[in-house]
Amino acid sequence: MSLDIINSPIFATIQDKGRFSYTSIGVTNSGVMDEYAYLVANKMLENDLESNIIEIAFSNVHFEAKTNTTIAITGAKCEFYINDVLKPTWQTFNIRAGDLIKVGKILEGTRVYLAVKGGFDINKEFGSNSTTLKEKLGGLDGDRLKKSQSLPCKSFIQTHNKRLKEQFIPKYEDRLELRVILSYQDEYFPKEQIDKFFSSTYEVTNEFNRMGCKLKGEKISCDINGIISEGISFGAIQIPSDGQPIILLKDRQTIGGYPKIGSVLPIDCFKLAQAKPSCKITFKPIEINEAQAKQKEFYSSFA
Amino acid sequence: MDFKLASVDSIIIYFGDEISQDVASKVKTAYSCLQDINLDGIIEIIPSYSSIFITYDIFKYDYDSIVSKLKKSINLEKTIEGEEKIVTIDVYYGTEVGLDLEDMSTKTKLSIDEIIEIHSSKLYDVYAIGFLPGFAYMASVDERIAMPRLSSPRKQIPKNSVSIADTQTAVYPQASPGGWNIIGRTALELFDKKLDSLSPLSVGNKVKFNPISKEEFLKQGGEL
Repeated sequence: MSLDIINSPIFATIQDKGRFSYTSIGVTNSGVMDEYAYLVANKMLENDLESNIIEIAFSNVHFEAKTNTTIAITGAKCEFYINDVLKPTWQTFNIRAGDLIKVGKILEGTRVYLAVKGGFDINKEFGSNSTTLKEKLGGLDGDRLKKSQSLPCKSFIQTHNKRLKEQFIPKYEDRLELRVILSYQDEYFPKEQIDKFFSSTYEVTNEFNRMGCKLKGEKISCDINGIISEGISFGAIQIPSDGQPIILLKDRQTIGGYPKIGSVLPIDCFKLAQAKPSCKITFKPIEINEAQAKQKEFYSSFA
Repeated sequence: MDFKLASVDSIIIYFGDEISQDVASKVKTAYSCLQDINLDGIIEIIPSYSSIFITYDIFKYDYDSIVSKLKKSINLEKTIEGEEKIVTIDVYYGTEVGLDLEDMSTKTKLSIDEIIEIHSSKLYDVYAIGFLPGFAYMASVDERIAMPRLSSPRKQIPKNSVSIADTQTAVYPQASPGGWNIIGRTALELFDKKLDSLSPLSVGNKVKFNPISKEEFLKQGGEL
């Protein structure tokens, strides 16, 4: 019983909430880039909210079902077909053995999520199924998904299919405002540089992957060139000597020596995960207490 | 101890602003306190040269409460019980694997044997782990063999290469691009999925490099 991959995907990986408590020896957290799409998919399937999922970047993954099951598809708007019939996303579907499932061209956003009832039956490595290619950990073999692989899953049919209400389906626009907690080395950035950072518009570049997102725009300068290497948070904004911010994401290195002006709120990083190159980015400061309230509100809504 | 905000759910504690044994020993003591207390709601702890980064559960603590909890938990006067953990890393220092030994010999005006003797006669402290899983930054290398990074990094440094950059030394746990000077190779896995801890090293350990023959290296499973 499985979903089998019948084409060669460009970049699809198994992910979950992430791998925790090994950062002290240099193993990154990894995990889904867009937790909103991930949690909605698992919630619609009434799964454990930490179940694994397929994260599909750059489109084009074709599956053949070898069992009856129920799937959920969320994230980027894409051409999604079951047996060559175009279907909407952000909903669950019952699948019969022999059905062909195709995630085709991505139309809005960049990452599609496909979950299965009960999660894929894959052994965890160090507490997680999340795949990090650099570490060769997680997934089926520590690598991206490849043609002819089988993703084991349970046989199941959900009696009522679910669909997310329209107002909760995100719009992936070409402009994003990211909320930032000033932190880390912020005091080494002169006030006019901080003002410039918050009043400028940046652009997402092509240097955008699971490790981080490089922006281009107004150069930000700092009083120091480097720091003694230290632990890096999810969403941390590094300012290298070229002055162009890099936002560090799920597969970030665990320690690093570039000055950091602050950290983007994780729930805003989930939106950034769906941004395309040339998407316009602005930053807005947020205080720690309000930021924690927003984060808690996000996770509580799935409880 | 200087507490600083890092992100919505993480903080960083600074123990000094230099790379030194004194600062590293404070990090080590504080790290040991945190491991002993094993606080509920702590998600990640990343010790480094002069700091400890901590991620916590915001459903259990807010910023002020985690800071006060950590202040109570960390006692820098604490004496760490028991013997210090010393990890021995056997190294084959032949020029066929120590790709930069000859070049270093020219630059330092020391013989290759002298370089090996100087590198392997010291006990090093693990100051930080990162860059690659199990990549441990160790110091301090004797000034006589301290070497700046290569001006043009190698595209592929062979797995298990023992290396030097300035006064730091490290082992590449996997093949990787890199600019450190390569002086030998070990058969010891520094990132080992068979270990519960994933690595035989952790921040605060001491490391001794032990020169071995090519035959011994091959017998241990070393690869040329």
